[in-house]
Amino acid sequence: MIPEEWRLTQDRADFLFDLLSRGVLGLFIVLALFPIYWMVMISLRNPEEIGTSDPSYFVLSLDELRTVVFEGDLDLLASEVDFANYVDMWDQIPLLEFYVNSLIIAGVTTVLALAVAILGGYAFSRHSFPGKRYIGGALLATQMIPGVLILLPMFLLFIWIQTETPFKVVDTYHGIIFVYMTFTVPVAIWMLRGFFDSIPASMEEAARVDGCTRFQALYRVALPMAAPGIAATGMFVFLTAFNEVLFAGILAGGEVTPFSIGISRFQTQQTTYWGQMMAASSVATIPIIILFALFQRPIVEGLTEGGVKQ
Amino acid sequence: MPSLGIGDRLPFYRRLSGGQRFAYRLLLPALAAMTIVHFIPILWGLTISTMGVDLTYASHWYDAPFVGLDHFRYVLGIENFDDVLVSDTVVGERYRNALKNSVIFSVGTLVVTYVLGLTAALVLNQKFKGRFVARTLLLLPWVAPVVVSLYVWRMMFTQQGIINQTLLTIGLIDEPMFFLIGDNSMWALIFAHSWTQFPLVMIFLYAGLQSIPKQLYEAAAIDGAGRWGKFRYVTMPQLKPVSAVIVLLMLLWTMINYTAPFVLLGGAPPKQANVAILYIENYAFGNSQFGRGAAMSVVLFLIAMVMAMVYYRYLFDDETTGAGA
Repeated sequence: MIPEEWRLTQDRADFLFDLLSRGVLGLFIVLALFPIYWMVMISLRNPEEIGTSDPSYFVLSLDELRTVVFEGDLDLLASEVDFANYVDMWDQIPLLEFYVNSLIIAGVTTVLALAVAILGGYAFSRHSFPGKRYIGGALLATQMIPGVLILLPMFLLFIWIQTETPFKVVDTYHGIIFVYMTFTVPVAIWMLRGFFDSIPASMEEAARVDGCTRFQALYRVALPMAAPGIAATGMFVFLTAFNEVLFAGILAGGEVTPFSIGISRFQTQQTTYWGQMMAASSVATIPIIILFALFQRPIVEGLTEGGVKQ
Repeated sequence: MPSLGIGDRLPFYRRLSGGQRFAYRLLLPALAAMTIVHFIPILWGLTISTMGVDLTYASHWYDAPFVGLDHFRYVLGIENFDDVLVSDTVVGERYRNALKNSVIFSVGTLVVTYVLGLTAALVLNQKFKGRFVARTLLLLPWVAPVVVSLYVWRMMFTQQGIINQTLLTIGLIDEPMFFLIGDNSMWALIFAHSWTQFPLVMIFLYAGLQSIPKQLYEAAAIDGAGRWGKFRYVTMPQLKPVSAVIVLLMLLWTMINYTAPFVLLGGAPPKQANVAILYIENYAFGNSQFGRGAAMSVVLFLIAMVMAMVYYRYLFDDETTGAGA
């Protein structure tokens, strides 16, 4: 028999449920953070230690950790944390070049895509016009086109331009930027439309009464108010362009190789330089995580706006 | 609408109000760019899927011979053709296998991300200290550059990787498992991809949860509903519109996702996880068979379309998409 004081009352059930959901939350946070944590850990390891069967989850083994924590032996910590990967990675592959290419490609894509999508998103938010439903549907439809279906004709077109005209497009910044810009515009329009929807139109109407043109009302009144949303959309576009590999591999695999493709060169026929790859990955990831922490509220709202609002 | 006379005879553009014309002008750059990079290439892709475009015709595809639907019969393995490449006789079989893999990848990712995303959203939806921090942390897998995350997973999945080491240490296995080749590779692919995508599902469902009116739960409580009852009869029905959107997006996006299989499995993927889009890229560019590659892409596109069509009416009837009015 269960003693009276052990009986599952409502309070106790609530407490157990809370405990359970905190536990699940903890589990999820560990699951979400471990690979990122592990990336940094491996990047700080001595290259010779990587790949050996040393199942320590820290830079230090448990014994070493105990020494550092309880005996304050910071020298041991300093001797075990190894920044060699962060030094060597630049010589292993032309990493700096890859970073710069990625920044140029993703950066210019972001600026151009935002310029185009701000106009489109504003039109969708503030105006109704014939065919709006169909244009909106076409924007969404682009999301289900397999990349290769576009890549094949684009590849043939680029080859044709390259051989038959004096223009160079394969393996150039402008070629890949144009492709990326177009890919990101539909989603950017969708997100920005949501942000403009959340700004009352009354300010622009007032500006119109005061003699602003429609376009002035857009860029002098609506644009500043939508700034957080634009930043969020910009980050989304930047990340999409930064992570792209299909088109980059075919259309920008040579002189303008971006980081997303170039990072694979840490894998050679003989060995994989995991430590250096993780060091290079950490350098790419940490600024993005910091930026996200700064802009996360509008990013999160922008993502869900279109899907949740009725 | 009854005809009013004069207005009907004006040309289309003149009939528009100032606001409507302005809206068209604003949309013009987006539509122009999309016509060049989306709409024309799709039509063009359809065209070359019926033409014998190979290496010979790479720089002048328009001279390639018309082959009708031969490519489709070939890539679906309906009919085998005598070909210089002996290995080509099994292309149809391999491509069908790749399509099957794509469907498994797509549905598997949907199930994993939905279960993870819903659980995380429900846990986050309770009031507790540090909820904002917890939400931020749970979003990080989606924020970290996907290429980087997938390489980390690739590293963790290797024979000496931390996953094998952990399983060995706690004694679940006696010798290292192979995650990236053989039968486990599809699971590894689904799991690594789901890790990068579940925060998106989570944040959609979380936003959906936040928008459920409190009164519904109060009413359910009065009717005697417990936790499960509230979840079953209030939460899930209320989440239906949001779920509809995110389910469709996850299915389609995974179906055509190239990054995850490419980064995780590399250029020579195991046949158990060789998904269609990876197979097409390898086949079309590896053998310079652009016409056949286009035919394969069209098949994949049609499958994605059919999946979308199943959802289409549902979405537009509920008016949950941002595309409508």
